[in-house]
Amino acid sequence: MIDLQERFLERKSFIYRLFLVYLMFGLLLIIILYQTFQLQIANYSEYEIAALENKTHEMNIQATRGLIYDRDGNILVKNIPTFNLISIPNKINDPELFIENIKGFIDLNEDEENIFYEKFKSKARYNRELVVKTNLSEEQIARFEVRKHNYPNLLVEKRYSRHSDYPTLLSHALGYIGSPSEDELSNILSKALHPRQETIFSYANGFIAGKTGLEKTFDSTLRGEFGEKVYEVDARGKLLEEISHITPTEGRSIFTSLDLNSHIAANNALKGRRGAVVAIDIDSGGIVTLFSSPSYSINDLSNGISTNAFDNLINDPNKPFFNRALKGRYPPASTIKPALGIFGLQNQLVDWNFSIQDPGFFTLPEDGRVYRGWKKGGHGEVDLDKAIVVSSNTYFFSLAYRSDINDLTEHFSKLGFGKKVCIDCFDEDEGLIPNPQWKRNKLNSGWARGDTVNLGVGQGYMVATPIQLAYYSSILAKKGKTKELSLVQSSINNFTNIDLTNFSKGDWNKLHQSMTNVIDSPIGTSRRLKDLKSFQVAGKSGTAELVSLDSKEDYLLIRENEAQRDHAIMIAFGPMPEPKYAVSVVIENGESGGAVAGPVAISVLKELIK
Amino acid sequence: MRFMKFKRFDFFYDPYLLFSIILLSVIGLIVLYSAAQGDLSIVIKQSVFVFFGILLMIGVSQPDPAFYKNLSALFLILSMILVILTILFGNEVNGAKRWLNFGFFSLQPSELIKIALPIYLAAYLYDKSLPINLKHTFISIIIIGVSFFLIVFQPDLGTSIVVLLAGFYVLFLAGLSWKFIGSTVAIFILSLPFLWNNLLAPFQRQRVATLFNPEVDPFGTGWNITQSKIAIGSGGIFGKGYGSGSQAHLDFLPETKTDFIFAVIAEEFGFMGALILFSIYTFILLRCFYLSFNARDRFCRLTIGGLSLIFITTIFVNLGMVVGILPVVGMPLPFISMGGTSLLSFYIAFGIIISMASHKKLIRQ
Repeated sequence: MIDLQERFLERKSFIYRLFLVYLMFGLLLIIILYQTFQLQIANYSEYEIAALENKTHEMNIQATRGLIYDRDGNILVKNIPTFNLISIPNKINDPELFIENIKGFIDLNEDEENIFYEKFKSKARYNRELVVKTNLSEEQIARFEVRKHNYPNLLVEKRYSRHSDYPTLLSHALGYIGSPSEDELSNILSKALHPRQETIFSYANGFIAGKTGLEKTFDSTLRGEFGEKVYEVDARGKLLEEISHITPTEGRSIFTSLDLNSHIAANNALKGRRGAVVAIDIDSGGIVTLFSSPSYSINDLSNGISTNAFDNLINDPNKPFFNRALKGRYPPASTIKPALGIFGLQNQLVDWNFSIQDPGFFTLPEDGRVYRGWKKGGHGEVDLDKAIVVSSNTYFFSLAYRSDINDLTEHFSKLGFGKKVCIDCFDEDEGLIPNPQWKRNKLNSGWARGDTVNLGVGQGYMVATPIQLAYYSSILAKKGKTKELSLVQSSINNFTNIDLTNFSKGDWNKLHQSMTNVIDSPIGTSRRLKDLKSFQVAGKSGTAELVSLDSKEDYLLIRENEAQRDHAIMIAFGPMPEPKYAVSVVIENGESGGAVAGPVAISVLKELIK
Repeated sequence: MRFMKFKRFDFFYDPYLLFSIILLSVIGLIVLYSAAQGDLSIVIKQSVFVFFGILLMIGVSQPDPAFYKNLSALFLILSMILVILTILFGNEVNGAKRWLNFGFFSLQPSELIKIALPIYLAAYLYDKSLPINLKHTFISIIIIGVSFFLIVFQPDLGTSIVVLLAGFYVLFLAGLSWKFIGSTVAIFILSLPFLWNNLLAPFQRQRVATLFNPEVDPFGTGWNITQSKIAIGSGGIFGKGYGSGSQAHLDFLPETKTDFIFAVIAEEFGFMGALILFSIYTFILLRCFYLSFNARDRFCRLTIGGLSLIFITTIFVNLGMVVGILPVVGMPLPFISMGGTSLLSFYIAFGIIISMASHKKLIRQ
């Protein structure tokens, strides 16, 4: 019995202790079951996403860029295919042998070999493509094609480059593309479906962004939208199979108001001289010509240019990169005179019958300072019409002398000076209309009456860009109707009338007649242009003095230095009496406006009106 | 007293344990086929292993428990010799010698000790007066200590701790005094900082640190835990379907065939799959509890209790690691994970348990 009692107690203690340990582990297993529950049910969606993200790898697909057309449907900028030889390292067992075999039919230089060996391992591990050689020739492609069946690990793939058939003709209007800066890149990628993922490129140069011109202004339109390829990947990031594919949305093409042939005409007429030509379709306000000379090849800039060639462009004293049409600052010179005339009539400082005696100079009453005209001895009795036709400085000196400077600057501003006039031009300069406040801030001196007098002939501190001159010319042509300029095809609507009181339609007609006579009248300053054309053209020439001089003899001295010679300027519009195009021409150091810039303006107008 | 009478011999078995262990083994093979990503040769090799394992288990359950009681010392000594041979001649992997290579099969003798030790202790304490006195406690502790340190020197910390526990379980069930337990635990806790700095290798400390903050280093040591959690979590209630676990099949999960096989089950069969697995394990453990309660003598009682506690400890350590609440230590999931000696030793352990369940001593009249 005692034995039994003992055995009973021992069993009781055993069971008690075993139960205790079981209970402990039971609780621990419940904790594990709870943790499993937490993972699988409470936080399921979170882990579901994590598993999905784990096993998928998204790659952006670069869209091809839109094209740029001129108004007649000529393609100004396009994408041309280049061909790259691409290997699939994952399928290559012996890279050395592989390269040896390729060299049997396609030459590889040392760089190309080294890059291949350098990148081979990681590309193989992640099952990515590896470019062996770029820009294959047709012969190289053919050599590969006949051997293709022996190389399941090699393919030829199309990659684009940006190309213009007129690489130097429209450089400053079109602009070029280049590698994006870090900011630009993050902006570009922010529009992709998967911002930081890798990208399958359509362009040989990888990521691209518009850097200047239309390529820059309309960069996002042209760029299109990234597509996407989704691959299944394993834990090492190796691509396995494609799961889904969204084709990229190609960039939209832009249809500009530019006219290719007018650029050819401008280029031929300028003959490489430094200068700019801007022409405007008066009906639509579209810019048809935006030409700056000398130029550079946008194809070179867009697709890679050697450092040496680039340095040569940068250091060229003629500054080919400088967009003279939008950024060149020139005194408007005598081309401003019609604006002064309008101002005088409006403010009833003069009327068409009012005349003065032009002795060839104007004397400032305050201090007796003399402002000379271009013709010794003057033009005799001069009214407004004659003052425009013969470009009498004295008339406009005296008119400006009687003008209120603040009213005058406001008037210039209405005509587009001192501000940007184009809505989609790249990096346009504002030019400058000087006024007393500006002079005090900038030059720390007070406004003198003489400053206003100088404005009367567009000299002094005032500067305008060729595009402002063309805009001004188009306002004159359209009799006060205006609209901001644009490079993309625009409608004939949305013109507004600039506020001109006391200036009637009749006044406009008279002004047009005077400007036509600048060319057609036997005494007109640009009479030599008359026989260059078969239609009537209204115009006004200008010769911008870079150095203030007292006599013609002094000028003969300074013109020894070409950089000090006068700029030749011409504004014109035609055909009269119903003008369709307005144009401005500036030729740096071209000297006589009518004789040098005039023929250029006529050639461009002829091409446009044809 | 469950056995079948045949003409020439009796067949001893326990239907509950036999059924549930074979069920687990089959589940293990099915999951392994998925975890091995359809590599049939791995599954065939393991099937052969499982087949002979089950035969071994059935074979081991035929002799009377007395056979094991009498031979337990021999088993233990044999296991220890194998461990020593391993230390001397074993295959070195990552600086540790754990395996004896027999060509077709690599034996991990430390796994055998974790079975042999509790059986020997149960046999040793069989005829001692209980609760055990200080002398027998001391002798038992020396035997446990020798076994423990042999394995520590391999080095294999995970298994050595299980062996230590195996010995301790038997002592505890045999009535080790609470005072002794209390003071041992106190000493252990006090020496914890010392052990942390001296006994654990840097990589082991890293694993513990990672447990509490796996996100700190998601591609380094935290990778296993993070990926395992993603696998389990993304399984949801019903799982992604057999063979469709992306975590397992795209190599995000580490050690899918062995230590992390539970994550494969949870990913492909979801919470339901996990629940079924838990139920089978719970059933086996409850059966063991019942059997030890009704064991015919102290040896059987202590052996069944000790072995079943080793079983539950292994399950807990494995699952705890896979769900991310315990540090990563190499510990297979019994009867499910692919593998050698550990599986073998559990077949042997359950063979002995079944032997004890089915052989009843005739009560003297």
